[in-house]
Amino acid sequence: MKFLCVSCDEAMKLIQAHPPERGSLTVVFRCPNCSHEIAMLTNPYETQVVGSLGVKVGGEQAETEGAGCPFTSVVQELGASAEGSSDDLPWTTEATSRLRNIPEFARPMAKTGIERFARERGLAEIDREVLDQAKDFFGM
Amino acid sequence: MKRYHDIAGDGGSGILEQVQAQQERVARSLSGVRTLLAVGSGKGGVGKSTLTMQLACALRERGNAVSILDADLNGPSQARLAGLQQRILVPGERGATVPTTGSGIGVVSMGTLVPEPHAVEFESVASGSSYTWRATKEFTVLNELLAYMDWGKLDYLLVDLPPGVERIVQYAELLGPSALFVLVAIPSDMARGVVARSIDALDKTPNRILGYVENMAGYHCSECGRIQPLFPAQPQVKLELACLGSVPFDPELAALCDRGGSPSDSPALVSWQPVRRIADEVCQRVAERAFLPEEKT
Repeated sequence: MKFLCVSCDEAMKLIQAHPPERGSLTVVFRCPNCSHEIAMLTNPYETQVVGSLGVKVGGEQAETEGAGCPFTSVVQELGASAEGSSDDLPWTTEATSRLRNIPEFARPMAKTGIERFARERGLAEIDREVLDQAKDFFGM
Repeated sequence: MKRYHDIAGDGGSGILEQVQAQQERVARSLSGVRTLLAVGSGKGGVGKSTLTMQLACALRERGNAVSILDADLNGPSQARLAGLQQRILVPGERGATVPTTGSGIGVVSMGTLVPEPHAVEFESVASGSSYTWRATKEFTVLNELLAYMDWGKLDYLLVDLPPGVERIVQYAELLGPSALFVLVAIPSDMARGVVARSIDALDKTPNRILGYVENMAGYHCSECGRIQPLFPAQPQVKLELACLGSVPFDPELAALCDRGGSPSDSPALVSWQPVRRIADEVCQRVAERAFLPEEKT
């Protein structure tokens, strides 16, 4: 999507993509010539269609709705929410970095499952060794 | 006044570059895969998934490194066939580690992650209108599986496709022009008619079809020990494609599949020898030709 400042005939620049609220994204554009600002407000269908492409308006680092975890009910059954809960185990920087190596939609379930695996063994932190143990345990 | 194409870039949304990055990640992830082989039909219920697993076992038996991607997100069956249910994806150094059977076949299936009887559901901010975005989301998920799994070096990555003639083209485009296809038919004109449509659909893509497998070609009668006809008459619909082999319906195999057992551990299975010959045929055809898309005439 591109926005044009009609009076200046100038392409507007995306300056901010706000986190979605009730299914609506707010994306602010500014004209580099006259500084006029507009906000694009998406309806939930538009938000969902963009999210379904696996992309985020404003780039990968932009804050958006979750990627759409297909395992919500399973994660809840495991005893945690997809967003995490107060009794999450700490993850080392290296383990957290590794978690980004799996598909985004599978991360909440993987995180919950690995923490459960660690708790059952009395482990207090998720590090590289725990991930390697989990890999062996789950037959990989 | 300027138009869309007068303005360079994508307006700052970053969507185009993210899509490009996704495609590059898939290409990197699959760079160690020698042959990407999709098993489809267009018709449902013809035994695509069972045949895919059997074919994987036969290829593995010949010393090939083989993995399966179960592209049927909504009706996954490879996890059960492989005996790999109730797992999670564990992050490794180069991607998610592929769950592996005892015989060394990697299997990536939603059925591994989502236990029966849960349906695969996606969170949505547009509730009640999944028909508008669900298909897009499913292909995005498949794309992510292709991109983020640590496939490593493989001789064959088999992709078990869901039914649907229109979708077979979508999968061809997702997997790229070098992906080869094997189609599965049964001796029924109704099924073969749909497979014929799939051939026609794939004919418009750069992808090559190695041939078709006639599945459920009779059934093995345990009382008389012979192959008896399963369908009443010889099919009239001709498939303009090489037949790679015929596989009889085997109740023993059906039972084995439900248990997640490997047919290579049960050599007495009536269906096993035909599948092994089909695997030979596949290996030979793959070895003989590079199957570059421009060779398609």
